[in-house]
Amino acid sequence: METHLMLGNEAVARGAWEAGVQVAAAYPGTPSTEIVTNLARYDGVYAEWSTNEKVAYEVAFGASMGGARALTAMKSAGASVAADPLISSVYTGVNGGLVVCLAGDPGMASGMTEQDDRYFGRISSMPMLEPADSQDCYEYTRLAFDLSEQFDVPVMVRLSIQTAHQKSLVRIGEDEDGGAEAVPGDGDPRGLRRPDPPRKPPHRITEKYSLLPRFSRPLHRSLLERVKRLTQYAEETALTGELARVEPGAGAAGAGLVALRGGGATRIGVVSAGAAYVSAKEALPDAAFLKLGMIQPLPMEVIRRFAATVDRLFVVEELEPYLEEQLLAAGIACEGKRWFPQWGELTAVRVGRGFYEAGLDLPRWAEDKAAEDATVIPRPPVLCTGCPHRGMATAMKKLDLDVHGDIGCYDLTTLPPVSHMHSAFEMGASVPIEQGFTRAGGSEKGSIAVIGDSTFLHSGITGLLNAVHQRTKTLVLIQDNRITAMTGGQTNPGNERTLAGAETKPVDIAAICRALGVELVEQVDPYDYDACLRALKAGLAHDGPAVLITTRPCMLFPAKIAGEPYVVDEDLCNACQQCMKLGCPSLHHADAMHKTRHKVAIDGETCTGCSLCAQLCRPGAIVKAEGGAS
Amino acid sequence: MSATYPTGVAPENACALHYAPGVVDDIMVVGVGGQGVIVAAAVIADVALLNGGLEVKLSETRGMSQRGGSVSSHIRIGKQVVAPSISPGEVDYLLAFEAAEGLRAAPALTPDGVAIVNTQQIVPPLASQGEHAYPFDAAARMKAAGHDVVVVDGNAVALEVGDLKVAGIVLVGALSTHLPFAVETWQQAIARNVPKAWYELNLTAFAAGREVGAR
Repeated sequence: METHLMLGNEAVARGAWEAGVQVAAAYPGTPSTEIVTNLARYDGVYAEWSTNEKVAYEVAFGASMGGARALTAMKSAGASVAADPLISSVYTGVNGGLVVCLAGDPGMASGMTEQDDRYFGRISSMPMLEPADSQDCYEYTRLAFDLSEQFDVPVMVRLSIQTAHQKSLVRIGEDEDGGAEAVPGDGDPRGLRRPDPPRKPPHRITEKYSLLPRFSRPLHRSLLERVKRLTQYAEETALTGELARVEPGAGAAGAGLVALRGGGATRIGVVSAGAAYVSAKEALPDAAFLKLGMIQPLPMEVIRRFAATVDRLFVVEELEPYLEEQLLAAGIACEGKRWFPQWGELTAVRVGRGFYEAGLDLPRWAEDKAAEDATVIPRPPVLCTGCPHRGMATAMKKLDLDVHGDIGCYDLTTLPPVSHMHSAFEMGASVPIEQGFTRAGGSEKGSIAVIGDSTFLHSGITGLLNAVHQRTKTLVLIQDNRITAMTGGQTNPGNERTLAGAETKPVDIAAICRALGVELVEQVDPYDYDACLRALKAGLAHDGPAVLITTRPCMLFPAKIAGEPYVVDEDLCNACQQCMKLGCPSLHHADAMHKTRHKVAIDGETCTGCSLCAQLCRPGAIVKAEGGAS
Repeated sequence: MSATYPTGVAPENACALHYAPGVVDDIMVVGVGGQGVIVAAAVIADVALLNGGLEVKLSETRGMSQRGGSVSSHIRIGKQVVAPSISPGEVDYLLAFEAAEGLRAAPALTPDGVAIVNTQQIVPPLASQGEHAYPFDAAARMKAAGHDVVVVDGNAVALEVGDLKVAGIVLVGALSTHLPFAVETWQQAIARNVPKAWYELNLTAFAAGREVGAR
């Protein structure tokens, strides 16, 4: 046995590999990305970045039908994209074990909504396991593959961002040597080998896999039977402690006794799972806990028995009252959302404050402490120095267009200092939204859809096809930086290589647009500000769908781009601030002043020489370092 | 919980004594994306693991940390640790790679917590828009608020030993004087987290950091 400090997502990958996963498919999405990034490093696993989450789900499902153990992973929004096959696959069931990792983002560190993903389990009847730390991630993922085959159903491993992105210790392998000391490292999989897992014979069973009414009606009844058996399994494993755990209170008195603010003490019980369990345990270690491992279906009789051992029962869960409502419906009295917020990440302090408000005597949580000094200048993420999105963003601002964005780094231009994007909604959305906006009459100075290469290929193509078919006058800007940048530089069909490093044919985005029937397709160098302006004007004037495609790669991925830096000739700078509109992190105010305004300086260490600031500089004070006045 | 173990005086059994049941060191590293906060956090986590007998939990900034935004890393060390992130007002040691980020995180400190603050100032592009002013007096403001602040010119020390790139390890060296781990263990932790070619220079930077950190 060995012990490693692992990210929750790394532990999921390790568990899946040990369970014999052969096919892993996903579209990158925070906080789920690292699961498949890591699986790609393991011996004997075929891992791919699929074009979108629905495609990924279907690839994994097909692999299961074909007899292999398969995994797909996604963020909340990805589950919405993949909802169709997600729900259908629970009817059909599986051949090889199929595990669906769904990582939610309460608090919206990078998600567009904080939807409660557990309802995907409810709507589909897919069994759900919810790990609380990396050890759980490792064990539950291994178990999920077995359950999937045992009950003929895909199994969801439901993660919260806290679980996916925390690091904690994982004991790997069998406990033969009585437990080993932790060693640093993330359990690097390079060099690990496993024998090829046995492949089941591929399924060719029409009535199992064809969701025509005559097949799907009996399949639904069969599903309800499987849910019954799963409920029995949930009760039995909760009883043995395998998948649910009763923990007596840590206090001196034990038995969950907690002092009350009004005097006296009472026995407190907490029902919780996943990240919320960890926060509740930190907030109130003296309470008795029922930690759930399986949250769909619920071991309601075990919960009922636990409830009978305490005076007050609390349900601690992030977002919606998913558990609370089911307990109440089962006639189990409990308190939950009355004390704990229904929004945001449920940190220990927010749980602790809830317990305090509920009357418990908790000095640690008596004071509502601020986490940070709100008076300090905010430091939001910004477009990188040399980012190829900056030229077009600045040009669109100059023309004062209504800008409909999609999902990508360019969304940062909704924020200061660029502040010129007016919607950022969901993947592929910008293209049809702009068509509807135009059909409603558009706006005076014109409007435009902005989308990236990865998102265009994810779900933008069908939207553009719609514009061609409807003959809608619309302008689409594809900010093609040839990588899926925002999630950390994953490959997409525009690249020459796949996730596994294999050579492949990069797709020609301009050719796709032309093939769809778009008449005006123009490629633009986004480092050429005047060319950006000209192209935008031409696109706006075109009577029909028009597409502009930028031609510079991401400056961060796959490799950081460096170039010859520019410098400011301080004598020529008249502090007009034109260059500062770019919001470039390498531009800052110099100590020198012109009248009441600061002159500008360039950080030569980070400047990549994109030259946009020099193009905007009216007095011509910004020049290449070697030919500069210095 | 605060304790000071200046250069060379950490006893053999310092850790066993220090990490009594229930004692958890809450360490927060803050800075700007790209400054090396993640590497520093990895070194701190690894020193506790290499020491042995301790549980370590870690959580890091979520979102787009590579795009010049604020970043922070929480490291919790003890015999037993529950939550991976530190609750507000409970940070024992704040290691700030950038001065304004130190000021931002200062309310997270426990009343007897220690802040080690780099003098480096990175003015965000927003400051040029005039709506917000950059706090050039960040360390002074932290002191005025009653915090125990150790100011370290990490960049100057790093340049002195040979390269700006090792400034992060200078700061880790300053922090190390407050934690009960042996210098040799720190050196092993550094070896695990920096490229081989940079190891010697990082050791020099670490030693220099210990000198400034010990006050």
